[in-house]
Amino acid sequence: MAEGWKSLVSFRGPERRGTTVALGVLSFLIVLALWWGAAALKLLPPQYLPSPAAVVVRLYQLFVQYGFIGDIGISIFRVWTAFLISALMAIPLGIMMSSYPIVNGMSQSLVDFIRYLPVPALVPLTIIWLGIGESSKIALLWLGTFFQLVLLVADDARRVPREYIEIGLTTGAKPRQILGSIILPAMLPSMIDNLRITLGWCWTYLIIAEIVAADSGIGYVIMSARRYVKTDEVMAGILAIGIIGLATDQAIRWLHRRWFVYLA
Amino acid sequence: MVHFLELDRVSKTFGINGGAGIHVIDDVSMQVEEGEVVVYLGPSGCGKSTLMRMVGGLETVTSGRIILEGQEVKGPDRQKGMVFQSYSSFPWLKVIDNVRFGLKFRTDLDGREKDRIARHYLQMVGLAEFEEYWVNRISGGMRQRVAIARTFAAGPDILLMDEPFGALDAQNREFLQLQLRDLCLKERKTVIFVTHDVEEAVFLADRIFVFSARPAKILEEISIRDLLPPARDLKLRESETFFKLRNRILGLTRTQALRSEQIEVQGA
Repeated sequence: MAEGWKSLVSFRGPERRGTTVALGVLSFLIVLALWWGAAALKLLPPQYLPSPAAVVVRLYQLFVQYGFIGDIGISIFRVWTAFLISALMAIPLGIMMSSYPIVNGMSQSLVDFIRYLPVPALVPLTIIWLGIGESSKIALLWLGTFFQLVLLVADDARRVPREYIEIGLTTGAKPRQILGSIILPAMLPSMIDNLRITLGWCWTYLIIAEIVAADSGIGYVIMSARRYVKTDEVMAGILAIGIIGLATDQAIRWLHRRWFVYLA
Repeated sequence: MVHFLELDRVSKTFGINGGAGIHVIDDVSMQVEEGEVVVYLGPSGCGKSTLMRMVGGLETVTSGRIILEGQEVKGPDRQKGMVFQSYSSFPWLKVIDNVRFGLKFRTDLDGREKDRIARHYLQMVGLAEFEEYWVNRISGGMRQRVAIARTFAAGPDILLMDEPFGALDAQNREFLQLQLRDLCLKERKTVIFVTHDVEEAVFLADRIFVFSARPAKILEEISIRDLLPPARDLKLRESETFFKLRNRILGLTRTQALRSEQIEVQGA
């Protein structure tokens, strides 16, 4: 037992899955306890810091009375639509960038230019061009993720060891076959990781999109609650995003472990 | 006379934009006959790997010609199989599928025939009972055997091996050398094997080409075939002939290794 405790604080010590999960739960409980304590002691007035219980109750009411599930649904729809469009465009383009100098030369600086533009700065443009409907929100999310993802994918493909490609060349594979049978499977684990991280960014941009111009979605709920200083409702919205994010992330990690058993 | 493989005044310069470039291979000519095991021996960084990669069509020739079976080498293909020191097999494939990969792009064989050939070579390298293992789960030596089996299964005319046992421990290395020598003899494969390990060179080779430090020139050609029997075993390593050969070649390479170090330092 003492040994087990020691390994937790030893430099680059071994990690055990069960312990990691337990520590994760513990960290949540600590934050929750601090929050609860601060609220119970009324360190801040409830308008600023509602208690955890009040937030959970509010979250429940949002679901039951205000159809919050619909807002969550529309937000998830926006995130995933934009994310899938980004991924479907970025994966082939990124791989082509790593494969052919002409594609890389034509796209690298363009992508870099757009990549550095702050997404909120593009909100006015998307609204002027696409109005305030779904398409402008999805376009904004796409702008925020596609240009990042394409470079990440290109790097994943470039990191495939030269030897793997030469094994293909010396077994008579054509470029197409090398892409399909070697480069894609070799880069897939790190690409899935990058997709998972990019999906997280989508949520950041979603809230920007929904705060600026929307009449539905989690961001809209948070924004209208702010207007009436319903802090518990704001926090309930934030809590909902956190839970969705955590669940999605864990689900993808779980899939990652199942798909890539050979990495274990 | 037509040779199986002929290198005719081959040179290589790696271009540096605007600069003079690095001269790696200097006017190398040699002939290799079918079924021969040829070892390129030389200090690290001398260019021997580059020369072998040029035979494989993985590097271009700056000047001179490489003729394999009457045809000039223009690029990589299935005729020229490769075994690398690292990343020599695919981690996302099981052992058997790695071996089968050598045949994956052949359209002249059906699936059952491919399975049969893959199993045959897996058996030859002694890994039949590991066919369902992931390659990350087996030892480094076994991984190299998988790569060798894959390359044999692909049925190349010539096998190019770039320090394939360089990362293995001494015991494993001896065992794999023995197995490889045996396999080459049985299959009558033409092999070019690159190494900087003198004992490995003597044990495996029919002929050794000792290269100078960069730019690589042939320093000496040593026919082992005349001195050691074709079938080799571990006892041979303790024989007088082996010992003498080893010492003679070590003497040759020692000065080159020193020069090579100096070149590296100056180049950096």
